[in-house]
Amino acid sequence: MKRFKIPEVPMRPFIQSGVGVLLGLFLGALLMVIFGYDPIIAYYWLFRGAFGSVSDIMETLAFATPLMLTAVTFAIGVKTGLFNIGAEGQMYLGAVGAAAAAGAITLPAGLHVAVATAFGMFLGALWAVPVALLKMWRGVHEVISTIMFNWIAFHLATYLIVYYLADPGRAERTVPALPSARYPTLMEGSTLTAVVFIVVAFCIGIYIYLWGTKAGYELRLVGVNPDAASYAGVSSRRVTLLSFVIGGLAAGLAGASQIIGRPPAWSLYATLGNVIALGFDGIGVALIGRNHPIGGIFAAVFYGGLRHGSRLMEYRAGVFSELVRAINGLIVVALAIPEIVAIIRRRFEK
Amino acid sequence: MGKLKDIKGIARTSAILIAVIIIIIAAVGVYYVVYYEPAPGEPFKIAVVSDVGGRGDLSFNDMAFKGGEEAEEDFNVHMVEIISTVEADYVPNLEIGAKDENVSLIVGVGFLLSDALADVARRYPDKNFVGIDTTAQLVIQDDYPNEYPLPNLMDIWYEEHKGSALVGALGAMLAAYWQHSYIGVVLGMEIPVLWKFEIGYKWGCDWAINWLATNHPELDVGIVATPKKERVLWTYTGTFSDITKGYQAAKPMYEKGALAVYNVAGPLGLGINQAVEEIADQYNLVYGPPFWIGVDANQDWINPGFVIASMMKRVDLGVYYATELVREGIFRDTVTDTNGAITLGVGTEVAGDLKEGISVSTLSDLDEFIAMGERAEQLTGTEVLPMEPAQIRTKVQEMRDDVPDWIWDGIEELEEDIRSGDVEVPVALTQDVVDSWRDVFG
Repeated sequence: MKRFKIPEVPMRPFIQSGVGVLLGLFLGALLMVIFGYDPIIAYYWLFRGAFGSVSDIMETLAFATPLMLTAVTFAIGVKTGLFNIGAEGQMYLGAVGAAAAAGAITLPAGLHVAVATAFGMFLGALWAVPVALLKMWRGVHEVISTIMFNWIAFHLATYLIVYYLADPGRAERTVPALPSARYPTLMEGSTLTAVVFIVVAFCIGIYIYLWGTKAGYELRLVGVNPDAASYAGVSSRRVTLLSFVIGGLAAGLAGASQIIGRPPAWSLYATLGNVIALGFDGIGVALIGRNHPIGGIFAAVFYGGLRHGSRLMEYRAGVFSELVRAINGLIVVALAIPEIVAIIRRRFEK
Repeated sequence: MGKLKDIKGIARTSAILIAVIIIIIAAVGVYYVVYYEPAPGEPFKIAVVSDVGGRGDLSFNDMAFKGGEEAEEDFNVHMVEIISTVEADYVPNLEIGAKDENVSLIVGVGFLLSDALADVARRYPDKNFVGIDTTAQLVIQDDYPNEYPLPNLMDIWYEEHKGSALVGALGAMLAAYWQHSYIGVVLGMEIPVLWKFEIGYKWGCDWAINWLATNHPELDVGIVATPKKERVLWTYTGTFSDITKGYQAAKPMYEKGALAVYNVAGPLGLGINQAVEEIADQYNLVYGPPFWIGVDANQDWINPGFVIASMMKRVDLGVYYATELVREGIFRDTVTDTNGAITLGVGTEVAGDLKEGISVSTLSDLDEFIAMGERAEQLTGTEVLPMEPAQIRTKVQEMRDDVPDWIWDGIEELEEDIRSGDVEVPVALTQDVVDSWRDVFG
């Protein structure tokens, strides 16, 4: 068997991302100056808030964990020439699956975690299948169908929580995961759990799959040049299905990670408030990470740092919360520009 | 080949560019870190952490911040507002307050923060924590029974059953006066907390009928003539978010002849309001009847002239009293004495002082909420208030003037009776108790 060789790492994406970060920080600083805040103090607290102590780093990673996965969902879609924005809905189903398996059945400790995780991933993948079939059989564009399926998933999940999974004493959420189905926290009081290892391993696994296996090569080939792929005998239908299913697995794991891997609630709220928007945020993260599963890990940590650190920026530097979000948005947009340009260019070159 | 060279050239230029920028930023950063001195610390701060509703919800969060502002004036404290945008923010946001050495009280607003409060309060034993409407001590009791009650954690609860009794009595008296046969109540999901509202409301209606028999025997039609078990129309909609269900539940109640419908389902009140507006349009009404009754906050401004009153849970007073307890240094003693849960309502005492937290809305509350509405309009840039503030005030004033004084006096009498303990409003928290009261009141 041929051994997997790590391809040479090109410098260009790193340089572009570096320029993106600086540009974003600069634009954010400009915005703060306009509104009369001191950007240096604000950024100092942003950085300290995100990475200033071990517990802050852990919190940043906790925010980053699900985004690494939903970024994979989008990224693998792009790699196969798809614009899959269905991570949101698939992630809801993953959360519902994990909540059901973790709260409703009893199993031995280790097995229970595994079963709850697997069931969440399974439901996430299952929710991606109809979208893939619609694309393969009827040519329905995935942007349309995934947006629709996101809404169906939202209401389906709410229905399932309210009528089947609700905690009798606390009807605003599902029955909490039994202790046997919870990933252990990595530090007393931290909301980061061991699920982060599973998540990073999953991302690395996807990377190896895409660049180290024949199936992964076929997947990328369809994305780069569908005609060449079909000439080479690669079934684009099979690849489409595969891409959606892998994306669904990732999104399902993202949802599950927020239920059985995120204290203190260990349950899913009927408003879906503790998972909402993770799928959409993953698109931004994927773009920052240049649609690469490993790049996504770093991008998610960056994004999580913004998310977590900004609360100290607000608290200490007094920057009001709407402006904080605007600054975060500017940084994310600036970072995503190179990949957006690349995607558009690819479209035109075809 | 040429292309590759170009890329390398670009890469080199940008690398140099980045290096220069990084050096500048690093230099400025070092300068700031070395010469930046933190602002002199305030001696006493309280941190109020909102739930995902945030500023501008015109309900729990805005009321909590208002309580903090009042505490600022009276106790020489400084309040910091921390807004949560997603549920995952609760723990880190509470922690931000806990980590600030000048903060001695951290308030979490709303029952959604229960788990987060229990978690953070355990880890910061030097700080005091308060939850509004939370069950954080029960979380401690379940998960860490030998630490219960946590000495630095207090849940604040409200006597919704008494408030519901007051508006139930109000509704019944109005129905007798306007000769309508029913009053109604639209509830959310059927969870134990809501039973308190349901049974309290029905009990209040019944109290009013008996009161009318003695004080106004001339009123013998309308709700007075309705059989005891049919006076209150009630529906559990099973949701706290589907506004249409509020409309669907309220509409038939008004059609059957309900004078007022009590909103016990949060945003579904907008659905009830829609049903009222339809009737108002149909008959060209400027004022009710029909009316609806608001809940939690003062909702009288939502449709001036048609919301007769609101059952208010005074979240602002909860924050204010908690600050007072910390300021006077008796917070932890109070926690010990009460197992970490104090109740604010009608005639309730905390640490030996009368401290109440339930009331039927008045005109002066309305002004405060109109001010909140104006602030929310500035904050969100969208229209919140249905008309000019002065106009709202006039309409509500006129609507209230339209109600005979003896009704307002009657409500006050009930409040006084509850306060003195002459009457006791039943608290229904279990299925058995609810069933037994439903046998009595329908």
